[in-house]
Amino acid sequence: MRRFGTALAAAILLAAGLTACGGDDDAGGTVTLRFSWWGNADRAALMQQSIDLFQAANPTIKVTPSFQEFEAYWQKMATETAGGNAPDVLQMDFAYLREYADRNVLLDLKKTDVNVGDLIPAFQGVGEVDGALYGVPTGGNTWCMFYNPALLKDAGVEEPKDGITWDQYHALLDTVSKKGKTYGGSNYRSVIYSFESWLLQQGGRLYTEDGTLGFTRDQLIAYWTVGKQYIDDGRFIPAEKVAQIEPASPIVKDLIATEFRWDNFFARYAGETDAELKIGPVPVITPGATGQYLKPAMLLSASARTDHPEESAKLISFLINDPQVGRIFGSNRGIPATNAQRKAAVLEGPAAAIAAYEEAIAPLLQQAPPAPPKGAGTVEAAFLRIADEISYGRSAVPDAVDAFFAEAEDALAG
Amino acid sequence: MTSGGKAAAKRLLWHAGAILLLVVVLYPVFWMISSSFKDSRSIIGDLDLLPAPPTTRNYATAAEGVGGISVWRLFGNSLLLAVVSVAGTVISSAPAAYAFARVRFRGRGALFALMISTLLLPFHVLIIPQYIVFQRLDLIDTYVPLLVGKFLAVEAFFVFLLVQFMRTLPHELDESATIDGAGHARIFWNIVLPLSRPALITTSIFTFIWTWNDFFGPLIYLSTPDTYPLPLALQLYIDQTEATDYGALIAMSMLALLPVLLFFLVFQRFLIEGVSTSGIKG
Amino acid sequence: MTRTRHGDAGAGLLFLTPWLLGMLLLTIGPMLASLYLSFTDYNLFDAPEWIGLENYRRMFDDPRYLQSVRVTGGYVALAVPLKMLAALGVALLLNQPRRGQGLYRSAFYAPSLIGASVSLSLVWKSIFSDGAIVDRGLGAIGLHTGGWVGRPQWSLPMLVLLAAWQFGGPMVIFLAGLKQIPAELYEAAAVDGAGPWRRFRAVTLPMLSPVIFFNLLLEIIGAFQVFTSAFVIATGVGGGGGPAGSTLVYTVYLYDKGFSDFRMGYASAMAWMLVLGVGLITALLFRTSRVWVHYAGEKP
Repeated sequence: MRRFGTALAAAILLAAGLTACGGDDDAGGTVTLRFSWWGNADRAALMQQSIDLFQAANPTIKVTPSFQEFEAYWQKMATETAGGNAPDVLQMDFAYLREYADRNVLLDLKKTDVNVGDLIPAFQGVGEVDGALYGVPTGGNTWCMFYNPALLKDAGVEEPKDGITWDQYHALLDTVSKKGKTYGGSNYRSVIYSFESWLLQQGGRLYTEDGTLGFTRDQLIAYWTVGKQYIDDGRFIPAEKVAQIEPASPIVKDLIATEFRWDNFFARYAGETDAELKIGPVPVITPGATGQYLKPAMLLSASARTDHPEESAKLISFLINDPQVGRIFGSNRGIPATNAQRKAAVLEGPAAAIAAYEEAIAPLLQQAPPAPPKGAGTVEAAFLRIADEISYGRSAVPDAVDAFFAEAEDALAG
Repeated sequence: MTSGGKAAAKRLLWHAGAILLLVVVLYPVFWMISSSFKDSRSIIGDLDLLPAPPTTRNYATAAEGVGGISVWRLFGNSLLLAVVSVAGTVISSAPAAYAFARVRFRGRGALFALMISTLLLPFHVLIIPQYIVFQRLDLIDTYVPLLVGKFLAVEAFFVFLLVQFMRTLPHELDESATIDGAGHARIFWNIVLPLSRPALITTSIFTFIWTWNDFFGPLIYLSTPDTYPLPLALQLYIDQTEATDYGALIAMSMLALLPVLLFFLVFQRFLIEGVSTSGIKG
Repeated sequence: MTRTRHGDAGAGLLFLTPWLLGMLLLTIGPMLASLYLSFTDYNLFDAPEWIGLENYRRMFDDPRYLQSVRVTGGYVALAVPLKMLAALGVALLLNQPRRGQGLYRSAFYAPSLIGASVSLSLVWKSIFSDGAIVDRGLGAIGLHTGGWVGRPQWSLPMLVLLAAWQFGGPMVIFLAGLKQIPAELYEAAAVDGAGPWRRFRAVTLPMLSPVIFFNLLLEIIGAFQVFTSAFVIATGVGGGGGPAGSTLVYTVYLYDKGFSDFRMGYASAMAWMLVLGVGLITALLFRTSRVWVHYAGEKP
């Protein structure tokens, strides 16, 4: 007992000594901003460099950073916001913008001197809800196809070209699955953004102006029925094979030849495989109508409760406009959102490929739909989950569609 | 066969059986260790146990720290939290357990039931009210919210564990002590506490490991990266749009395992020196 | 019986002071708050709005809620006995006087040192994938299951095995309990001519019963609240619930509702429903414990 007691006592003393350090006091006149973002260690390093620049240019403002991985970030953000203790400046996701904005926890940046004049045209007005500006995009991304040219070649298929139709694409999947070494693709019909681009191609919308579902049951039944068919005939990789390599993507494990994703995932995928990947077109129904738009990869918002709205706006302006910051980040936050940062960013490797792709399709891009309504995050998750239940043969398509509508309408109503 | 030979054969059989069982139980641990020496890109989907060829690059990456936080800082933070938690839990849980196990007073049953009921509520719904309490007290982004509860025996698990052990101690012990004129303080300190050592060690080990691995508490209460313990750092290898370094992630997990393993190795010795060997007379 | 052992409220409360403070300052308030929230519509940001029993009523119409109850029931029924048996078996094995017991103990405990983390989930998936060790091992004895990962019927067993594999916690508690059994009792039994099985039945089991009771109760409570392993292993395809919702355990769904869907009122109601259900089981266990749990420190 005594030995144990001594060990404990020593440990407490040690701990007391360690806690003595720490604590940060503001010198007179200095404003401290809390700034939170999601991302990995790389982004943290880039952010820190940018914050250092900002602090050098604004000696009276001190920025204290906090960062977590995406999922953890949102749990922390929800807790802090519920406690009325949201950070002054925070990274925002397009899907959650209205979730937070509609509940009055974000600052209307129009009431500050935030500088958004240099945003590229496609981003002017994005982040506005009912005339108030709740988030400023830092960079953009576009829905697109990734493909593995070598695997297509193995199957004797040509690389997809601009204007490829859905029928041609599905034929390609069939050929790859039958003649190649891999599956043609993954079940893109379980992803709501694929469905959205399909709706947009036909002039439809995912959500209406008043925040309800912008499509019919029959449209979704048609969409998911084809998806189920392609799982059954082997065009799509089976769900369990995808699960086995989660969180990696089947395209970086050479299990599929094509996949649909936001183009900023390209940097990640290129870093996780030795194979050469390329960015390709979204197939169309009618030529030219790809249903693609430039979506904010992430936005910067300020808390409605911040004591320092002007300083927060200053930080946001700096992070989206400063050319040096643009150079530091490259494509880490998506292809930059302002002209100045686009010019300054030196993009190499996968980032250059993304930028080239976005430039090539720029004329085809539509205006981005308004920020998705409150509850959209839940709808997106339900879409994927219920579509998977079809893949697993756990529910018939019409039942699944009913279940989806029930959940989605409930989520959008609350 | 001589009785000595028989005993030797039995011993051999025991070791053979134990080792066979261990191979099965430790297989996933081997897998994890060997993964930490694999090329980061080949970890997922690889069906071979052994890395070909092995690389130490993952450890080199892990040793650089994460997001500007040095490895030493991360381990220091984790160690601080774990050690103080152990101290707090033992100091506060043992007296509480003594009261429940060996002192008779009105309302004991009700209080005990209240304590058990705190075990039943999932912690997720307590996060926000507790956050608000600590925020009102201006203690967010300090270690206080993570530690103060340990000094107030908030973990009913440990109180209950100690209660169960103290209730098994022969009652003749404190009865005779009482006749000798000892009060509760002396009975607790001189008799019950020493005899509860296996349970106290168990409490220490669990507290250390649980605190070491705790993710949600630090996530909610800590914002300054320099205060992050290891579990918060591990998630920083993961990203949606940038390549995830699975190798460094696993290597860091392995490094994070060493202190807990060491803690267990050291403290498990105290487990053996239980009542049966200290020879108390009932 | 002596004076001090009866009605000693002063000493009792004195020893309980830290615990009482913790209860009053940290536990009771948030518990009552969550109870209140369970009767409201609370989205984390706006003030909660009283809706009475509506949250509780809705659970019975919520297919995912009912799914989570089924999944959790299955998990508890499988994981608790498996883990308990593994823990008790190994503890008995390690309670014998052999060389190197410290190392053996540590080695058997090693899996439990590893928290349910992303790294562990990568390992677990690797082991249970198509053509990996489990698949091949079962194939060798004629059971062709294929990989378990991503297959709805095998996802829960995977989770159960993970829980059973981390049996170190109850094992250590069993060991500590075994160490506390006075050697004199075994000696006396041996003198009476009792064999190993009789000694186990007549000495070990009754003397260990408080610890068995503790482990059983806490493992049941813990299994009903299983979260991290299901959360970490099941992320990805199908979200937090695993393939086709096959590992949608209670608290994962509760977390989803509270923090992803911003329905903290509903999540709180779910939590209190769990308190009711598990509380009932706990009370029953305590009631039966009077029959089979033997405390040496208390008069029968």
